[in-house]
Amino acid sequence: MPRQNSLKIGVSGVRGIIGDSLTPQLVASFSAAFGNYCGAGPILIGSDTRPSAEMIKQAAIAGLLSVGCTPIDVGVVPIPALMLHVREAGAFGGIGITASHNPIEWNALKFIGADGITLRPNQAAELTDLYHQGVYSRVSAQEMTDPRTDGSTLERHRKAVISIVDEARIRDCRFKVVVDCCNGAASIATPAFLRALGCEVLEMNTDQSKPFARDPEPLPENIGALCDLVKKSGADIGFAQDADADRLAIVNENGEPLGEDATVALAVYHWLRHESGPVVVNSATTRMVDDIAQQYGCPVYRTAVGEVHVVERMLECRAVIGGEGNGGVILPVVNPCRDSFVAMALVLEALAQDRVPISELRSRLSRYVMMRDRLLCEPRDIAPLLRLIRNAYQREELDLTDGVKVLWANKWLQVRPSNTEPILRLTAEAPSEAEARSLLSDALEILSPS
Amino acid sequence: MRQLKIGTSWVRGIVGDALTPELVVNFASAFGTWCDGSPVVIARDTRRSAGTLRAATLAGLLSAGCEVIDLGVAPTPVVSFAVREMGVGGGISITGSHNDARWNALKFLGSDGTLLNLVKSEELLDIYHGSKFLLAPWDKLRPVETRSHWLIDRYLQYVLSVLDVDAIRKRQSRVVVDFCNGSCAEITSRFLAELGCTLLPLNEEPSGEFAHPPAPSAANMRQLASLMRCLEADFGAAVNIDGDRIGFVTAHGVALSEEYTLPLTARIRLKRRPGPVVTNFSTSRMVEAVAAGFGQSVIRTSVGESHVIDQGLAEGAVLAGEGSGGVAVLPSAMTFDALLTLGFLLEDLALTGESLASTAADMPQYFMRKRHLPCPPNLVYRVLDRFRAFYADSNPDTTDGIRLSWDDAWLHIRASNTEPILRIIAEAQSLTRADQLMEQAVTFARRAAFGHVEV
Repeated sequence: MPRQNSLKIGVSGVRGIIGDSLTPQLVASFSAAFGNYCGAGPILIGSDTRPSAEMIKQAAIAGLLSVGCTPIDVGVVPIPALMLHVREAGAFGGIGITASHNPIEWNALKFIGADGITLRPNQAAELTDLYHQGVYSRVSAQEMTDPRTDGSTLERHRKAVISIVDEARIRDCRFKVVVDCCNGAASIATPAFLRALGCEVLEMNTDQSKPFARDPEPLPENIGALCDLVKKSGADIGFAQDADADRLAIVNENGEPLGEDATVALAVYHWLRHESGPVVVNSATTRMVDDIAQQYGCPVYRTAVGEVHVVERMLECRAVIGGEGNGGVILPVVNPCRDSFVAMALVLEALAQDRVPISELRSRLSRYVMMRDRLLCEPRDIAPLLRLIRNAYQREELDLTDGVKVLWANKWLQVRPSNTEPILRLTAEAPSEAEARSLLSDALEILSPS
Repeated sequence: MRQLKIGTSWVRGIVGDALTPELVVNFASAFGTWCDGSPVVIARDTRRSAGTLRAATLAGLLSAGCEVIDLGVAPTPVVSFAVREMGVGGGISITGSHNDARWNALKFLGSDGTLLNLVKSEELLDIYHGSKFLLAPWDKLRPVETRSHWLIDRYLQYVLSVLDVDAIRKRQSRVVVDFCNGSCAEITSRFLAELGCTLLPLNEEPSGEFAHPPAPSAANMRQLASLMRCLEADFGAAVNIDGDRIGFVTAHGVALSEEYTLPLTARIRLKRRPGPVVTNFSTSRMVEAVAAGFGQSVIRTSVGESHVIDQGLAEGAVLAGEGSGGVAVLPSAMTFDALLTLGFLLEDLALTGESLASTAADMPQYFMRKRHLPCPPNLVYRVLDRFRAFYADSNPDTTDGIRLSWDDAWLHIRASNTEPILRIIAEAQSLTRADQLMEQAVTFARRAAFGHVEV
């Protein structure tokens, strides 16, 4: 079998294809390096539902044990629940075995520090250095332990999330909810969580033993079946998660997807009514957030795209809430990471508090249309093309946090390089589709004049 | 020096030093490749490092697409039985066996339940060194089966089926067994209960903190021997960590050398089923005397379980064993099996009504001397070659090191399979002769090894 170039060792961890680049040897070595990085202590290991999880997990356990760590296997759990458990239990670190939204032949190690946060870029660089040095401080047999198991992750997480909302008020509403868990890591946790909040739950794709039922990204085009069932069953709301349950998409009572942008906007809208403070989102997130924050007199800070950048900034400025336009909501009082359970709890509480349907809640927020395009681009062309955009719009307000973002009073255009593919991503948001479309076509004209 | 030994059918090393999880993953991947991705049975012993090696072994086997049947903590003979019972591709026993607690090892078993022989081991090593392992794609990965306790039940049924259970039950023996905190306590306790015996256990906690060095030699059975008089038992036994070796102590607390295990088993085995016996060059001549009593011959091979069993199967032997206390009852068992050996002794004592002390006293008396000298691996050949020249007049056998045989004595000098040492064993009808042979060999070894004397 010819080796593809499928191994990615980067800020977000180690990703590769099973049966090809992500070998147990590599995983054992990386885990030994991570054990040395964290120190000899408890390290939690959780996974999503991929069939390769067991093989990868055993390799990780072997590497961790060899350097004197005590791996604690918490089983199949959503990533935010694992991160919370690491922090709450005082573990030295955690390893999440999940390739998130990648296709099923992939798997990955996601490294979590003792603070319950994915390793920051500089920390990840230190870990990678340790790995590449290839010499790990092993312990002798007498200092070795056996791996342990712990089944408390889901309950800890459920309690932590429910503790921030008015549980009784939500329970009183007896919401009828349809969930689509994509047969992912939240397949057991989400129905239990919603039932704890008094909801009547209709489950879709909650069989962990089955492969992913759809493309794991909760985009409108991937959740048609959920929309249909919400409409048919007369449910109050529909929720769709990705495979590791950090992102959430919402479907209204008419079976219409609100778009992943709406998730963070609704969460911010509701939370700022409770607690005011700074909001942090990435530079590609909807303007709705700015409008809402302005209403409450709260500042909005924007970062480069990538969860770790948002979290880092949130900790710096003591933000009360943050997130990303892809459906990721971050509420530091629970957990400094994207958490679809937090998003569900906030949206349900907003419905319970205002006693309105979700479509109405959505209509209170300003309306924008976001449009996207992409341009294939050799890595060497990225900088010159971004310079073209920058020069073309030099009279406008520019934000250079991630690529080039051009801001007007009620619309914006962003051109930025993708973190994962050799393309330029173009995003425009404006009050109308026509305006958004024209922003995009202007930009494309600048980048590749016809 | 980093301690790693790759031998016929196993790889062993000091954990935290040369025996890394990466090495174990590689060997397990190689073994999975050798088995062509078919199912594999594994078990581990009680060592502190067993969890680490188990995880690495699972990762390697799973990545090759093997289904894994995990017996948990279980003796090596049970792995051998389960491999045959399930008709799977092979087995891996994760155990440092008689080595001390710092060590651990993988023992590889083929689909016939025997440790890999020389040829199969070479195949495995070629795959290991070639580093091109079978890598199953995500949809061809198989699960780990841990609900396999029924295989242990089935093994016990099998061992009992080989023995005269009624005769043993009538005798109602009291037996002290020293488990050295290894894998055998639970299974032995069930076994003896079935045989109507009373078990007085010693060091039975499976803690991996070994009360003494695990090899069942007379020196390591001192604690057991000292307790015998107070416990009023019929005899005592010491099993090593993974249940492939056993040694015995009389009711009065005399620790028999582990050399007695094979001839004691031969007494009952050959009575039931006559046939050749295979043992190695370093084992006492006692077994020859027992075999001669039944008109049977003894065939000698290189040292190592896989050698004696491989040869035993080739020669149609009914028993294969070594002076280390490891005995295999061929052809029904395919590995050294301490439990089965214990059962045979119980049966012999039950049928003859004798005590272990009187049975042992029937054996012809030989005096054995064993020594070992540190010997760097790069000097082994030179030292052995000089020995060959030194003893040229005595017609040395060079199958495994240098072995010399006289009417009243023999001398064997060989490199250890498991440690960087030279082993020297002398046995004679008189203690003086044994001492003299040993003295001569040690003096010569020291001079030859360090090159002080031109030979």
